[in-house]
Amino acid sequence: MPDLIEIAKGLLESKEVSFIIGYTKDRFGRVKPYIAKSVEDANNLMFDHHSIHNLAVYLTRLKIPENGRVGIVAKSCDIKAIIALIQENQIKREQVYIIGMNCSGVVTHSTDEWKKENIQIKCKYCADKAPMLYDAVAGTAEPFEQPDDTQEVLMQKLETMSSAERWDFWAKEFEKCIKCYACRQVCPMCYCEQCLAEKNQPQWITTSPTPAGNFSWNIIKAFHMAGRCVGCHECERACPMGIPLTLLTRKMGMVAGKEFNYRHGMAIDQPTLVGSYNFNDNEDFIK
Amino acid sequence: MKEFIINTDEIANLISSLPADKWDILAPAKDGKSFDYVLSSDKPIINSEAPPSKISFKEYFFPKSETLFYYKREANEISLTEPKFAEKKLLVLAAKPCDAASLPILSKVFNWDYKDEFFNKRVNNSVIIGLSCAYSDESCFCTSVGLDRNNTKGSDIFLTPFNDKQYVLSVVSDKGDSFVKEFLPNLTEFTGTKETKEFIDNKPFDYKKTKDWIAANFENKIWAETGEVCIGCAQCAFVCPTCHCFDIVDENCDLNCGRRIKNWDACQFGVFTKHASGHNPRNSQEKRYRQRVSHKFDYYYEKFGEVLCTGCGRCTRGCPAGIDIGEIVFSISNQ
Ligand code: SF4
Ligand code: SF4
Ligand code: SF4
Ligand code: SF4
Ligand code: SF4
Repeated sequence: MPDLIEIAKGLLESKEVSFIIGYTKDRFGRVKPYIAKSVEDANNLMFDHHSIHNLAVYLTRLKIPENGRVGIVAKSCDIKAIIALIQENQIKREQVYIIGMNCSGVVTHSTDEWKKENIQIKCKYCADKAPMLYDAVAGTAEPFEQPDDTQEVLMQKLETMSSAERWDFWAKEFEKCIKCYACRQVCPMCYCEQCLAEKNQPQWITTSPTPAGNFSWNIIKAFHMAGRCVGCHECERACPMGIPLTLLTRKMGMVAGKEFNYRHGMAIDQPTLVGSYNFNDNEDFIK
Repeated sequence: MKEFIINTDEIANLISSLPADKWDILAPAKDGKSFDYVLSSDKPIINSEAPPSKISFKEYFFPKSETLFYYKREANEISLTEPKFAEKKLLVLAAKPCDAASLPILSKVFNWDYKDEFFNKRVNNSVIIGLSCAYSDESCFCTSVGLDRNNTKGSDIFLTPFNDKQYVLSVVSDKGDSFVKEFLPNLTEFTGTKETKEFIDNKPFDYKKTKDWIAANFENKIWAETGEVCIGCAQCAFVCPTCHCFDIVDENCDLNCGRRIKNWDACQFGVFTKHASGHNPRNSQEKRYRQRVSHKFDYYYEKFGEVLCTGCGRCTRGCPAGIDIGEIVFSISNQ
């Protein structure tokens, strides 16, 4: 199998893509997003279990040339975000050259070791770690020990709580929010040119990081992810206050799956859940 | 500088004996994997080897959201009321030198033309006990910005580990002196010599020279290269001990009442510089990131003769896009 650098060099040399969104290591060995623009740059590309960032976010942040194409290095979880962006008409399939990576699970912090306790929970549910939509594939997946789903335990605990207790749980979590909007900026599915949180005529969301302002922000962000979140966990990774944001989005994803048999980011030609209407849609679970 | 020996029991005693109705104690504590400054924690961690907290303690001096006044309209009269200010004192225990040093830096801004009475009151009501630092990682660069592991800037009292059970307590300011006299009157004087761990800065630069380079390189490819991966959140500014931008908004409770609030804001947000006309002078992340570095290492230096950075590395550790401000300034100063 050709390796990542070779594929990237070929693409940049033939000018098939104008740049490649990938990962590199800085001189301390920390992995970070990187844009390779020349054959020379391609030598700096790499991929390993620290390649945690979901680079699909850059597909809407960077300018993709109108009729051009860009390359992107993507794990199978990131590919879901790319598919979702295509489903939502934010990019066209032909605008991206997907270099799918066979992945061995990723760990959250650049200094964390690749071991069970540090591997992200999402990796446990990643079906076969092999990319599902791609133009080229690189890398080898190594077997790894599955992490414990500590989130599921917490979810079950939340299910058994009364609504007052749940309110208290979230009030305590949201209180911590400092409105840095890292959760929004890092999210591949948050691509609005003007976020609702920035509108002030009328002001839908109070800008203050106060209990009221935080509740409206965090709940609205979560609502906007209903049936749209692809479960990349980037919001939670980016949150400096350690708020368990994906508890909400994961739960909504589960509801979308159970009630509508829908999962976002699985097929580019599938109509989106929120963008399509079906007479048989279940609604009696909405209270 | 007066120096005493203090042992861990005496520190524990101090914590339990400070009258809780008059004093709050802020100290690092461990929450899961990360350290945070926690108010009245039952497990304060006094450990020079602990990493810096994820977010600085600035919130206790410059709150993320602060009411400036309340307004009310009755008939056609508008009345204003001041918020209640908690006059409680704050003891910050085991502050990292790179945190303590931020207070004098912030003070310059908050007292430059207008004197921010809220900020000043909070600083006056506090006593900072700094702790010599024995931690370092790739993100730290305190020595490049004129600080070091044992720097007492911003501290009123400073602790340096002496052995497992004892610290050398140095009295740094008058406030610290009165605090020691009042709450630690029986300490034995220290006359020996202290040993501390050396810090090896892996991205050394001369902050006095960086300014000129930045000023001369308003257009440099480093801004574009950083701007294209920077996703434009405010994580870096909000965890930073020295960033101090704020936004002032009015929040109404109904048509006739409300409050004016000061909230944290940051130059990494697109809306930060967006005019009502729709024009935005910093209309790309490249320009916004350049502002971040320029303000810290050029504009602030120009105005106040020091940099707006303590080299704590927080912005780097938490950056979701892996951007390292120290590394950027290092490469700038080496070009
Ligand atoms: S809401 Fe969070 S988990 Fe879902 S797509 Fe956005 S960043 Fe990923
Ligand atoms: S990342 Fe965390 S702290 Fe920042 S706005 Fe989102 S929830 Fe709030
Ligand atoms: S430098 Fe990092 S933390 Fe700061 S705005 Fe950019 S992505 Fe966010
Ligand atoms: S800019 Fe970064 S390193 Fe400097 S004081 Fe702020 S958080 Fe610390
Ligand atoms: S760097 Fe930006 S957010 Fe920080 S103080 Fe300067 S202008 Fe404000």
